[in-house]
Amino acid sequence: MSSRDTGPAAGRRRSPWPAVVGTLRFVVTLAVAAVMVLPFFWMISSSLMTYQESIRVPPVWWPEVPQWHHYLEVLRDPRVPLGLYFKNSIIVSSAVTLLVLVTSSMAGYALTKLDFPGRDAIFRLFLATMMFPAFLFLVPVYYILKRMPLMGGNDILGLGGTGALQSHLALILPFAVSAWGIFLMRQFMMSVPDELVDAARIDGASELSIWSRIMLPLTRPALATIAIFTFIGQWNYLLWPLIVTTSAPHLATVPVGIRMMATAYSTALNAGKLQAATVMAIVPTIVLFLTMQRHYIRGFALTGFK
Amino acid sequence: MTGPGAEGSERGLRPLGRLPPPEACPRREAWQMARSLSRRARQTVAGYLFLSPAILFYLVFLLFPVGLSVYISFTNWNMLAPLERARWVGFSNYTYLLTRDDMFIASLKNTLVYALGTVFIGMAIALGVALLINNVRGSALWRFLIFAPVVTPAIAVGRIWGGIYHPSQGYLNQLLRAVGLPPQQWLSSAELALPSIMATAIWAGVGATVIVFIAGLRNIPAQYYEAARIDGARPWHEFWHITLPMLRPTVLFLSVTGLISAWQVFDLVYSMALGGTEAGTTPARAVMVVALYLYTTAFRNLRAGRATAGAMILFFIIFGLTLILLRVLRRGGLEAYE
Amino acid sequence: MGRNQQRRGWTLVCTAAALAAVMAVALAGPGTALAARTKIVWQVHWTDFQIDGIYQGDRLVARGLRQWVEEYERTHPDIDIELQSIPMEEYLNRLIVAQAAGTGPDIISVLNTWGPQLVYDGVLDPVPADLVADVRSQYIPVAVEGATVDGQIWGIPFEVGNYALVYNKKHLQEAGFSGPPRTWDELVQMGAKLTRRAADGTVERYGFAFLAGWESAVVHPYLGLLWSLGGDFLAPDFSRATFNGPEGLAALEAELQLFRSGATDVSASVWEFPQGRVSMMIMASWYESSLKQAFGSEYEATVGVAPIPAINGKSVNAAYSWWLGVNAQSRVKKEAWDFIRWFTAQTLPDGTTRMGTYQAENIGSIPPRKGDLAGHPEQLDDLYTRVFVQELANARHEPNVLQGAEIKTILWHEIVEAWHGRKTPQQALDDAASKIDDILREFYG
Repeated sequence: MSSRDTGPAAGRRRSPWPAVVGTLRFVVTLAVAAVMVLPFFWMISSSLMTYQESIRVPPVWWPEVPQWHHYLEVLRDPRVPLGLYFKNSIIVSSAVTLLVLVTSSMAGYALTKLDFPGRDAIFRLFLATMMFPAFLFLVPVYYILKRMPLMGGNDILGLGGTGALQSHLALILPFAVSAWGIFLMRQFMMSVPDELVDAARIDGASELSIWSRIMLPLTRPALATIAIFTFIGQWNYLLWPLIVTTSAPHLATVPVGIRMMATAYSTALNAGKLQAATVMAIVPTIVLFLTMQRHYIRGFALTGFK
Repeated sequence: MTGPGAEGSERGLRPLGRLPPPEACPRREAWQMARSLSRRARQTVAGYLFLSPAILFYLVFLLFPVGLSVYISFTNWNMLAPLERARWVGFSNYTYLLTRDDMFIASLKNTLVYALGTVFIGMAIALGVALLINNVRGSALWRFLIFAPVVTPAIAVGRIWGGIYHPSQGYLNQLLRAVGLPPQQWLSSAELALPSIMATAIWAGVGATVIVFIAGLRNIPAQYYEAARIDGARPWHEFWHITLPMLRPTVLFLSVTGLISAWQVFDLVYSMALGGTEAGTTPARAVMVVALYLYTTAFRNLRAGRATAGAMILFFIIFGLTLILLRVLRRGGLEAYE
Repeated sequence: MGRNQQRRGWTLVCTAAALAAVMAVALAGPGTALAARTKIVWQVHWTDFQIDGIYQGDRLVARGLRQWVEEYERTHPDIDIELQSIPMEEYLNRLIVAQAAGTGPDIISVLNTWGPQLVYDGVLDPVPADLVADVRSQYIPVAVEGATVDGQIWGIPFEVGNYALVYNKKHLQEAGFSGPPRTWDELVQMGAKLTRRAADGTVERYGFAFLAGWESAVVHPYLGLLWSLGGDFLAPDFSRATFNGPEGLAALEAELQLFRSGATDVSASVWEFPQGRVSMMIMASWYESSLKQAFGSEYEATVGVAPIPAINGKSVNAAYSWWLGVNAQSRVKKEAWDFIRWFTAQTLPDGTTRMGTYQAENIGSIPPRKGDLAGHPEQLDDLYTRVFVQELANARHEPNVLQGAEIKTILWHEIVEAWHGRKTPQQALDDAASKIDDILREFYG
């Protein structure tokens, strides 16, 4: 099934427009692509410039001699442990994504295909949770994690140690459930016909198997979307990991690392290395997205949405 | 709405005591009623079970912090002294913010403009782009290019665009000069600072919106278009009468989530205008946004009580706007979405 | 639906749960190990080479904080000092969050602006009597004033910052000026002449740029002018703001002259001085190393420093300071003060202290202890710092008032509104004063 079988272009027959529209389309797309790419181009080119080149007016587009050694120096710099940052980011982002996928799809299923008192009120409450400004949670959540019972040297009352603050859980737990994910799953699951679910129930299937065997496969595009956005959102989140890693530097994630780089390369002379470090921090995420994107397309194609 | 099948059972459990005596109706009906009861019970149990992780999570990580925050908003806590020592000040934080604090009011106005502008203009652009690249060959590449900004941390985006907007060295003014138009002050100008930041925000966010629109577009069954084509509809009619209405749930989702997150914008404004050494002399009143103002109120001015009160006010604003949006976007349409 | 499929559903959930549990256990991290050594945590606002040291090739030319700390650890093997390097912008909020959760650092670098609040809330441990005596007798008056809150000394000052005029000698020479401006009028005229515009009106070079971007950047130079004109910032008992009187207005008008004459505008940025796009600026003492790095071999020939041009015959500059304090919540207060004593009060044979040496050699700032000021001639008597040290005699420390950051932020925003011409100077100052009066009444009324 090709991508031409859905959407506005589906089944289009020949008409006099295509040539003009096609060219216009190409030009606009090219312009859009250029606007998107230029800032990154600038970032890469400035990572390869010497300090003198970077402050030149008018600005230099591409350095005369690309300073590739910036990248090597950053890689070798023990103050910038890129490997550690990536390891932590992968652990945290994967764990959060997994948790969010499970909780969102379970909640979405309950909110659309199950009927029980309080269902709509609960949905509205979930929606409301998104509206609280994030920084309201900074100090209380830090406190909760510190007082987690039986972790990090704490007794059953949560006193005496550092709780979950020294472990990756401090970065994972506060994000385990996402109202956004629940919202998205709900909207998608609503378009799964009730008849499928009812038929399965009549066949004697448990709710759990309906959820895993029917709903999950049918909502793969939504799951993929949630996975991508949760993973990337978690990857790029700075504020919370920054706070946690004050006393737990071994937990530093990539954005915290980028911030630390700004500290390690704070002088103007090191601007090139800072850009190089930033490029190295960003590129893997983009590559990750590229790979995930293929699954997303394939996943969608397999659902046979008609 | 989805719910129990067409056996004729009404919403709500019928308490056992009200079942008619077995002699009064055929056994089959009684059995059906009992079965529908246990179906309700089963669905209730299943429902809460499925929701239990989410509910537990929110009890711990939301109820407690928010509860604590509500309490704090009625005190003058400054976070350095223990909370127990903070003085109760009633509503004075709220009244100060709403009547004496012109910077807070200015930040509300700015954030409103920012939120409406970036969300709705951004959606319009994203829809255009999504339509453009949805069925183009090599769309994967285009999609990747458009998504790259989303993947970039806001601090980096702010620095990059800060450079582009630079009055003398930036690309933008160079471009303007090349075509003979007058260069602008952009981020230092009181009138242009906020629109400039909004343009950057749209650039950074459009990719994500495009992806969601593409998912929504692909959700529209081909038959609708085929049928319309057979009836002789032109592309514009297709767009207006099929595409847009079918995208209503997507638009609803994007508007609500977009507004909610736009109201909390922080990183971008901080790194482009009000964040210290990279920033110039942008007048704060022209670009201050609520989240940033609350942050400085709490962490620079040491007024956690007032900042939390401001966050509560922000919450009610977001809540109100969301309700309005849900009402507006629910009217009519091909399908009823609650 | 067969039982197979039901089982698969369960397997899915069970695997996920097991995975989560395993991850939780595996990642639960170490508990607090029994400490064999006493650990002191010091949260610092220094970064990069300030911690790691300045190297020329492989040779260490100036010790970083880490090397100093390691020396102490070598001579005191039962002590382990952990340095938490936090960028300046985040210093206070990291401190606050850690403090609220009970994990605050043992040694705190206190900016005088935060001082009063930290004192008022009992965050700081009282300074031991011997160190108080040391501060009173061995430190310059500006620093003693800066470490005093409500008549008592609450920290050991380690850095004093003040302001001077920094200019590009080559630009001035090219334009035919024999030296830097000595009066404010000269500054305005020279600034206007030094500004260069391109054909389409864009500015290629600014004669003058104001330091901007945070509250002290804008308020400190303003305070200098205010004091030079005989005005005052706040009433001595902090009962009300006094800067919106005639002297304060004159001070703001003096700043606006630079805008009106074309010497500067709102897009001018002092951070472009190294690129040669700004000829003169009022700058603080901490910018030296950046300038040295930027200009490289041209540094001596290009950078010039002079007192801030006098207005009304006087040139007062504002000063601020940093102190070391110990957290009242700390469990290792005695050890912390011992380390501070070793670092800041124990004199070496040449009369200097280790902290003073660190400040002079690495940070490039002005150590406030008399012995250090005398004992580091190469660093303190150089092209840049010499003038700042000199001008300390004309410096006045900003008042240590509660909610200092909030007060200065209000004034900062209003001054910028006046710079943009969005408010008249009197209006701007009055608006600021009215809000600041509210705050003063709240805390001192």
